[in-house]
Amino acid sequence: MNAVFEIVLNPLFAFSVLRVSTPILFAALGALISDKAGVINIALEGIMLISALAGVIFSAISGSAFFGLFMALFFGGLVAFGLGYVSLKLKTDVILAGIAINLIASGGTVFVLFLLTGDKGISSSLASKLLPKIDIPILKSIPILGPILSGHNILTYFAFISVFLVWFLLYRTPLGLRIRAVGENEHAVDSVGISVVKTRFIALIISGVMAGFGGAYMTMGYISWFSRDMTAGRGFIALAAESMGGATPLGSMLSSLLFGFFDALSNSLQLLKIPYEFVSMLPYVATVVGLVIYTTQKTKRMHRMRIKAESKKEVL
Amino acid sequence: MNRFYAIPIFILASVAMFFAGCRGKTEAGTDDDGVLKIVNLINGTRGDKSFFDSSAAGMDLIEAKYDSAVLTKTIEMSYDQPNWEPTLLDIADQDWDIIIVGTWQMTEMLEEVARDNPDKRFIIYDTEVDYSLDLGNVYSILYSQNEASFVAGALATALTKSNLPLTNPDKLIGFLGGMDIPVINDFLVGYVEGARYVDPDIKIAVSYIGSFDDTAKGKEMALAQYSQGVDIGFNVAGQAGLGQLDAAKDMHRYAIGVDSDQAEFFVQTDKATADLIATSVLKHVDKSLLRAIDMHMEGKAPYGSSEILGFDEEGVGIAKNEFYMAIVPEEIRELVDEIEEKIRSGEIEVSSAFGMDSEAINELRYSISP
Repeated sequence: MNAVFEIVLNPLFAFSVLRVSTPILFAALGALISDKAGVINIALEGIMLISALAGVIFSAISGSAFFGLFMALFFGGLVAFGLGYVSLKLKTDVILAGIAINLIASGGTVFVLFLLTGDKGISSSLASKLLPKIDIPILKSIPILGPILSGHNILTYFAFISVFLVWFLLYRTPLGLRIRAVGENEHAVDSVGISVVKTRFIALIISGVMAGFGGAYMTMGYISWFSRDMTAGRGFIALAAESMGGATPLGSMLSSLLFGFFDALSNSLQLLKIPYEFVSMLPYVATVVGLVIYTTQKTKRMHRMRIKAESKKEVL
Repeated sequence: MNRFYAIPIFILASVAMFFAGCRGKTEAGTDDDGVLKIVNLINGTRGDKSFFDSSAAGMDLIEAKYDSAVLTKTIEMSYDQPNWEPTLLDIADQDWDIIIVGTWQMTEMLEEVARDNPDKRFIIYDTEVDYSLDLGNVYSILYSQNEASFVAGALATALTKSNLPLTNPDKLIGFLGGMDIPVINDFLVGYVEGARYVDPDIKIAVSYIGSFDDTAKGKEMALAQYSQGVDIGFNVAGQAGLGQLDAAKDMHRYAIGVDSDQAEFFVQTDKATADLIATSVLKHVDKSLLRAIDMHMEGKAPYGSSEILGFDEEGVGIAKNEFYMAIVPEEIRELVDEIEEKIRSGEIEVSSAFGMDSEAINELRYSISP
């Protein structure tokens, strides 16, 4: 047991939690925005994968990591626009369209990679660029906190800044109000002359751009190349994190960190004398436990509210 | 109106396609001109920079050697498991003389198909079929990856004990496996024995990624090992294992590649990574397939049995490239050659994970974990 604490209390462990959580957090914020607009964006996984490849290709061509990032975001938005077009304009089922995008992304990225490099597995023959890591001047020299918080990839910082940005967008801007209103009751929004389709389009595109950040991080920060199906379900974990976080920015961040924590834990615990099967089960157990806690809290709260409402009625 | 016609047109089109498919098959069946037709079914895709690439390269070697006397084809069945059996069944119905498949996942399917097609020859590599099922037309190729891993373990231990600039005083080396399965554990068993041969007190950090393609998780696990004091790690996890090489670059530690010479992939674009790959444990699937076809041509191929290919048959090996020369000091290189020689001569006998029960493997893992 001591050895477990030794691992968890090591600043390097906390550092790795932030690193592992970053792509999940980006995608969870993407899921949040589209969810608020009443569209479930199940294509996050595929969008991340496409953006991941776009980042590698365009940073290799241009020699600039930031241009690669820009193109990753562009493609993220573009694919989300495509999803919006078929689901909002042409009225196909958004879940089916999302699944289609995920399948296209899985095969299509390999196809494009093969066309460009003649390789079907990994893009190591493209000299792609990495986004910089940032040392935060004063924080860096503080013991414990410094090694945990300083020296991350620029996108890791941006992921946590985005939590605030997304909150601000949703709760403090007219657009955010519209997005939430469309998700709550589209007919009401329609009746006051706001275009439901347009608002959902905007929400989906922002959602795609967020997933694009996650994809760019995968290939230009987390690892330095693209490899086949490298997102490995992170887009779906993000959907779970968003709903476990109660569809709020802060909640999504906390549940992304929780997933990141257990993922990092399962990576480190294997080194101890704990059965491998047990360790690799941990992230999933955490999910189930998290969901159970969340729903019991929610039902308790609803129960309390109902009792309150009933007692008020009695008074009346 | 449109919808009214759509259904009959669709049915017509499907029927037409069905017949087109049938005709293709019968045409192939009538054509017989003495050319040996060999098909290689990969249950993945090319581009893994290790196992399947080597297998596909084997077809090129055969083609280059026998030219017009053979017709070769490599079919990538993708990693999508449900695709494999129908593809194998289709191929078995066609006019191929030799059908090659690989990996333990294909074993059961092949056993069935081989029984139903006694006139066809089958080669399966990296696993063996159950010969009690009377499969006289199947030749299984196994590789003594445990022997090559023995050398890798000895090399890693010698390096971690040395005073090389990137090593630390901890006597701790790493092993990053794809999954907890016999073929991966065969690498592990050899690696452990080799490490203990050099130093009985060596500790080894063992992790399994649980996947052969999640590169990011592979990197994360390798980072966890390196930050625990591992200064050289061995990855045996296909594409997922490549994450370890990226981790080695970040942490500035050494790595050992697997299956193909993994330093080669980075020479052009990322020399900083290649400079840290001390060696790779090579599994020459390509050469073993050429060898099998050579034997077939001479009429000596041992169908109905399995063979284990080691150093002597060039089934396995250790990459001794420029990076090996640059990283590994001369006395350790001599030790490596000496151990290799002892394995060849049978003086060192390396155990195998095949036939070991999971209890024994667990015990082995616990005994070396830090």
